[in-house]
Amino acid sequence: MRVRSVLAAGAAALVTLTAAACGSGDAGGGEATSAGPVKLQFLSLAWQKESIAANKELVETWNKANPTIQVEYVQGSWDNVNDQLVTSFEGGEAPDVIHDDSPALSGFASRGYLLDLKDKLPAELKGDIPQAAWDTVTFSDGKDGQGVYGVPFLQESQVIIANKKLLDEADVRVPTAEEPWTWDEFAEITRKLTKPGKRFGVAWPMKSPVNKVLNLSLNFGGTFFQTDAAGKSTVKVGPEERQVLQRIHDQLHKDKSADPSALGMGTADPLPGFFDGKYALLPAGVFLRQQVVEQAPEGFEWVTIPPLKGTSAEQGAVSQTLSVAAQSKHPDEAVKFISFFLNGPNQVKLAKGDWLLPTSTSAAKDSSINAEKDGWDVATASAKNLVVAPFLKVNGYDEWRTKVATPALQQYFANKITLDAAAKTLVEEGNKVLERYSS
Amino acid sequence: MTATDVRPPRAAGPGRRRRPAPAGRREILLLMLPALVPVLVFSVGPLLYGVFLAFTDAEAGFNHETELNGLANFGQLLTDDDFWSSFRIGMIWAVSVTVLQFVASLGLALLLNQNLRFRGLARVLSVVPWAMPPVVIGLMWRLVYHPNAGILNATLQDVGLIGQNIDWLNDFSIALPAIIVVGVWTGMPQTTVVLLAGLQSVPKELHEAAQMDGAGVWRRFWSVTLPQLRPVIVAITSLDFVWNINQFGLVYVLTQGGPGGQTRLPMLFAYEEAFRYGFFGYAAMLGVAFAIVVLAVLGIYLWRQMREAS
Repeated sequence: MRVRSVLAAGAAALVTLTAAACGSGDAGGGEATSAGPVKLQFLSLAWQKESIAANKELVETWNKANPTIQVEYVQGSWDNVNDQLVTSFEGGEAPDVIHDDSPALSGFASRGYLLDLKDKLPAELKGDIPQAAWDTVTFSDGKDGQGVYGVPFLQESQVIIANKKLLDEADVRVPTAEEPWTWDEFAEITRKLTKPGKRFGVAWPMKSPVNKVLNLSLNFGGTFFQTDAAGKSTVKVGPEERQVLQRIHDQLHKDKSADPSALGMGTADPLPGFFDGKYALLPAGVFLRQQVVEQAPEGFEWVTIPPLKGTSAEQGAVSQTLSVAAQSKHPDEAVKFISFFLNGPNQVKLAKGDWLLPTSTSAAKDSSINAEKDGWDVATASAKNLVVAPFLKVNGYDEWRTKVATPALQQYFANKITLDAAAKTLVEEGNKVLERYSS
Repeated sequence: MTATDVRPPRAAGPGRRRRPAPAGRREILLLMLPALVPVLVFSVGPLLYGVFLAFTDAEAGFNHETELNGLANFGQLLTDDDFWSSFRIGMIWAVSVTVLQFVASLGLALLLNQNLRFRGLARVLSVVPWAMPPVVIGLMWRLVYHPNAGILNATLQDVGLIGQNIDWLNDFSIALPAIIVVGVWTGMPQTTVVLLAGLQSVPKELHEAAQMDGAGVWRRFWSVTLPQLRPVIVAITSLDFVWNINQFGLVYVLTQGGPGGQTRLPMLFAYEEAFRYGFFGYAAMLGVAFAIVVLAVLGIYLWRQMREAS
């Protein structure tokens, strides 16, 4: 008995592996009889209240207008969506239309899980979304070709949310999109805003530091990866890559203008301290404005500061995407649904629901997301700084990020290791990880 | 007396049973079939498939053709630093949780074995954590450990033990001890109940005899209670060790293996390899290797205990 329970328990991982092969059977979408309507499953990852409402409303509108193609809304979660998708793809039970983000698509595309949409998209949708956004979803198909594996629809840029009163008190220049703060100016302003023992100029929540640092590092041309002629990627940490790392580290440990105890926080965690006046500036993705609006105490005044500028104001962009499963029995209907879901007017609704930037050029012109209120004008203007993040094209990036880069950056920001040591780990350990994916 | 009465028929048993055996065995097999089929289909089958996967280069994806690769996965495992650090963390976790669980449960069991007021109620309360699934326990403790809104930081601040909030589950050096505390708390009920049952089967006469001989409380504990409990202790600590080393849900909910892999137990490591990075073959080898390690550790422990006992 004991031996068997040891075996059984010890092989728990093995057993779960085969669960994939058994299939869960709860996702029986795509079963169309000749008489009934086509049924599609739509896995949505919307999580903010307004955004879920917008998503559901669009699905309902579609279902009413298209009695022959009925879409079922399935709620997913960003926390575990990729694990869930791997098992459902392997089990042959994947939802037809899948909401995800571009970093995940690269791996799925090379494994053959997703449908190449290159020749399936209507011209109207293709033309409405700029090439820069299509670049974030164009990946190798795992054999020799390239394909488009999703429709990008929401993007995020990094801005700074600032306490208006403290800015006015310190009499600093409020920047515009045309003339943003440089990193040097930013460092000086945070020093000015810092009152030792009472207030820090800035809080850097660095629970998941890697994407943030990599996206911002493009300000100085830091790409962190290089790809040789044969398509093999390696990690590089040169002077360009060290800029942002060093500057944040300086704020934390040299200028003491950034709160070291905020390092372990997730993006939204410093908000109570920010409302309290404990921090004057809060670097964050544009979506955080929603929580600021919702949670700010009465009379709290805040502004959105445009992205910082290094040698350029370029930032790495990733997109939220809708893809079609390669196993879907109704790919054409799925593409039709996506084309409706992501047309200009609907992207406005989705962008407003998630407080993110639409990829659609017609949506970007909509007056409701260009108003001054709640920083929409600054946010929407920052979209022009977005370029495709270099790490998107790197196979094995996810493992590099979680296993190598996250601990290395966290230790560096906590001042436990030097920049040289962090760089060495990122490159040496990192290349070992990438090696696994190059065969 | 009764023993000698019973023995002769028993000794004759096998001889008598042998004759009707063929028909009987078939019937027995037939009767066992309904119970056996699910075991074979849902337990033995996947298990064997998993062991088979361990010797292949199976990966996620439709573009990959799976091939047998012998012991390549095992070779990779031996040189994988991440595996060894996960192994080390797993051992620290399993040994410390098992030992602490045992010590705390023994104390609790001894207390509950006393003739206290409300003993029945106290016994029931001590079993309550057992009724909770690991995921719920994980969520609950995540709230306890919450850096800003957690009851632990609030209490410690009120008492004046800490000056500023500690982020228990995200601090590189505190995270592992923090989840070990949760592990101990979670596993205490079953250990307590088993030890309590063991304590109740210790004959009162032995205690009385020892008392007559002038043995004090400690002496009686060391020389009467503990030796009597020995088989129970061996059984429950081995089981606890196996349960703990294979713990997954609790830690997955609490930290997902973070920060920076400081709480990445072996099963979490295998899960990540399989479902996050898609290396099914390698993950299966991790499972096999771990089953072997657990069997070896347990084998040595049980063998030593048996030898000492006899």
